[in-house]
Amino acid sequence: MKLSKTLAALTMTAVLGTGAAMAQVNVMLPANPGGGWDSLGRQAFQAMNDAGIYTGGVNFTNTGGAGGTVGLAEFLGTSSGQPDALAVFGAITVGAIALNNSPINLAEFRPVARMTAEYLVIAVAADSPYNTLAELVEGIKADPGAAALGGGSAGGVDHISLALLAQAGDIPVADLNYIPQTSGAETVTAIVNGTLVAGVSGTSEFAQFAEQGRIKLLAVTSAERRPNLPDVPTFKEAGYDVEIANWRGILAAPGAPDDNYAMWVDNFTKLSQSDAWKKVLEAQGWEDYFLAGEEFGAFIAEETERQGQILKDAGLVN
Amino acid sequence: MSTDERNTTGGSPTAASTTPKPYWIGLGLMVMGAVWLYNAFGLPQGARYAAVGPGLFVTVAGGALLVLGALLMVQIWRGETFEAQDAEDADGATKMDKRAFLTALVAVALPIVTMGPLGMPFTATLSFVLVANAFGSRRWYLDLVYGAVLASGSWFLFNQLGLQLGRFFPPLGV
Amino acid sequence: MGTFELLLHGFGVALQPTNLMWALVGSVLGTAIGILPGIGPALTIALLLPVTTALAPTSAFIMFAGILYGAMYGGSTTSILLNTPGEAGSMMTALEGNKMARAGRGAAALATAAIGSFVAGTIATLCLTFAAPAVAELAFYFKPTDYFAITALAFCSVAVVMGTSRTRGFISLFLGIAIGVIGIDSMTGQARLTFGNMQLLRGIALTVVLVSLFAVGEILYVASRYRSTPGVMAPIKGQLWMTRQDFARSWKPWLRGTAIGFPMGALPGSGSEIPTMLSYTLERKLTKYPEEFGKGAIEGVAGPEAANNAAAAGILVPLLTLGLPTSATAAVLLAAFQNYGLQPGPFLFTSNPALIWGLIASLYVGNVMLLVLNLPLVGIWVQLLRIPRPQLYAGILVFAMIGVWGLAGSWVDLTIMLVVGLAGYIMRVYDFPIAPVLIGLILGPMAETQLRTALAAGQGNPMVLVSTPLSAILITLAVLLLALPILLKRLRATA
Repeated sequence: MKLSKTLAALTMTAVLGTGAAMAQVNVMLPANPGGGWDSLGRQAFQAMNDAGIYTGGVNFTNTGGAGGTVGLAEFLGTSSGQPDALAVFGAITVGAIALNNSPINLAEFRPVARMTAEYLVIAVAADSPYNTLAELVEGIKADPGAAALGGGSAGGVDHISLALLAQAGDIPVADLNYIPQTSGAETVTAIVNGTLVAGVSGTSEFAQFAEQGRIKLLAVTSAERRPNLPDVPTFKEAGYDVEIANWRGILAAPGAPDDNYAMWVDNFTKLSQSDAWKKVLEAQGWEDYFLAGEEFGAFIAEETERQGQILKDAGLVN
Repeated sequence: MSTDERNTTGGSPTAASTTPKPYWIGLGLMVMGAVWLYNAFGLPQGARYAAVGPGLFVTVAGGALLVLGALLMVQIWRGETFEAQDAEDADGATKMDKRAFLTALVAVALPIVTMGPLGMPFTATLSFVLVANAFGSRRWYLDLVYGAVLASGSWFLFNQLGLQLGRFFPPLGV
Repeated sequence: MGTFELLLHGFGVALQPTNLMWALVGSVLGTAIGILPGIGPALTIALLLPVTTALAPTSAFIMFAGILYGAMYGGSTTSILLNTPGEAGSMMTALEGNKMARAGRGAAALATAAIGSFVAGTIATLCLTFAAPAVAELAFYFKPTDYFAITALAFCSVAVVMGTSRTRGFISLFLGIAIGVIGIDSMTGQARLTFGNMQLLRGIALTVVLVSLFAVGEILYVASRYRSTPGVMAPIKGQLWMTRQDFARSWKPWLRGTAIGFPMGALPGSGSEIPTMLSYTLERKLTKYPEEFGKGAIEGVAGPEAANNAAAAGILVPLLTLGLPTSATAAVLLAAFQNYGLQPGPFLFTSNPALIWGLIASLYVGNVMLLVLNLPLVGIWVQLLRIPRPQLYAGILVFAMIGVWGLAGSWVDLTIMLVVGLAGYIMRVYDFPIAPVLIGLILGPMAETQLRTALAAGQGNPMVLVSTPLSAILITLAVLLLALPILLKRLRATA
């Protein structure tokens, strides 16, 4: 039993090694190894392989930086018109393109599928005077400068969710005192040590610290309450019409031939229905957020519009 | 390794290679400082609440380089001396060997051009031969073998570990 | 069950033959990885993640622990012998260690590094076993202003301590800070000094600068002034092993390094760089042989190496007890836990004690294993110096190149390697200190982020920078460090 596991690992190494040499599909992962986009790309192809949907070779390229815009720019340059070239990206890319004045236009790529989402929660320290989202919003409104708020990078989904909340609560978006943190862990420490009055991050990053009694979760950005956080109301329930998710998806190269494009849309559709993928979702704590092809394209256009507007309101983009 | 005390930072007092007046270093630093300062002017110096914005550190770095460059030029004018550092295999007092330096420089610059189109093993082998040549090795055919073995061996090893080193030899598509 | 009993159970898990084998695989892999510049434990574990899904979680984490510690050992070997620090944590080791190796005392340097790593690793693992919850809380107490004060003190001490003149020390430091601002500003998302180049948006990678300044600069410099003196090459001169005096001079730095490294490793963002720098500065101040510093002082190897390994154990404390990753490596380890559907934190200790205690026990085992692997190998490693110089330097360039290319496969990084390598050459010719550049580059962005965070949270009131006791003390020290020599000069002049 133990030996067979060892052998399995060794064969896997060999397969991965030779796979790189006879690759058939090139996948751009515009982040460093270990992060969310990296795992989405690698896990999706692993599951496709396990389910027998696509068993050919895969050649991954990690090019991290600037919310995925560095990797996508490279992808645009090397893969345009190629039949089997895919890239992972997500909600953060949309904001980063607007923020960095990046020449990338997401509409140029061919949308394959939206795969996963993670919803966001807003939290305050356990000893904070605020117990509900409404109290927090009133507190911010009274003196926006004194209420330091934190989350991921400037212009990222965390920031945008707070901007949307401010709009819903009649607070000028540009008045928010938003301080970006380098990771969800840093956001937690900053909330606990009092640097931040409130912080936003993915549900998985905050949930356990709430269980430890260090922070209070005030609201979640999904349409309905999350099954693993039954006591946390949604933004809507709390009286603010805000719904946003940190979604991740797959793009094909601009100008990819129709046959190949259709094949990949089909592959990912099959993947989303497979047991192998359900297992991955469960292990990673990801939400299924599947949407394929042109509908996904329309969704991207909508997000580009919405995020661009809110970044303008926040004074981050001219 | 000789037994003398040469391997010290700052060189031995007897080193005769006191470089005469390298004003260009001070000038170079000032130019760099000016570029940073110029860039900083395009950035907001303040921020809504933090009082300091993204421009602050760029301004500080640029300003400091500008001032320090000028200070260095004054010190040079006043007779500040510069002694090349001694290393184990290098003698700060000897004259610069231009041919060896340029050969090594080509070995370092080569990857910029060849790494992508010709692949890592090929590039590394060539750089290996060039550096060995710069250090006086005259049996280039042996160096070619050593370099090729080292470069291909590392390519296989680290590729197995999942590192992205590209294809073995891209022109042949392998 | 008491901690001790749980630990015994852990040893029962860690000493199973399969797990021992994975610990060995991890240690060997980690050592190999540590030798290659730029490829640290974080990247290795991240790359191995998909492969290890076929393994039982306990075995996988035991292997990862081996990689984590092994990389620290491997990094010190190349720093000492080849003056090519693989990662920021072994940069300080290169300063004194390489000088020792060049004086024929490479074996003693490697030995004090290996034993120091073992001592620090073991003590830190003991602390992890028995004091973890208390240490973990540290992460929640330090505020941005404290971090800013630490960096301010580090800047002042570095520029004053290093280099032939203050001007040159500060020039090096500000060069590093200037390089550090390139890329996207993390607070506002604005591009700074990227000159329209997309690849520069992500900034200049520390490893590229590290490798270029140390290895490439050295190759260019030695090539230009090569002194081929056949027959005097002596990898080992005098005693092969550490002498009694070496031990006497090493044991205190080992302990001090551990004391600095372990708690600092537990703090977010400080990684292994700051503790090693602090340990080096401390040893330089405390030593009885100040004249040897810069020429190969054994304390300068013993302290930072111990701090380095203790910090590696330190990062596990908040990760295992709180689920809080404080460094890149810890973040990757957290991803590994989540890959198995496990969430590190207090609950993991009760829900999966075999895994946690097996992992902790394997840290002890891995440390012993690495010591046993490395001490006898010291003799063999030192033989590397017997390789004829032309091929040795050529080989160093090959490894430097792989490290830089392997980061992102980008020609921009290779161009930076050329430019910074040339700068390293010029700095050697005109005697500018190298280390402050890297310290500016590492601590500059951290100082900036912490300063702006502290000020933003304090709504721009500068008094916030001395609002905690620690920050007040550290800032005062930094000011004194800069002002005292000038004041003393004035006093002497008037007296």
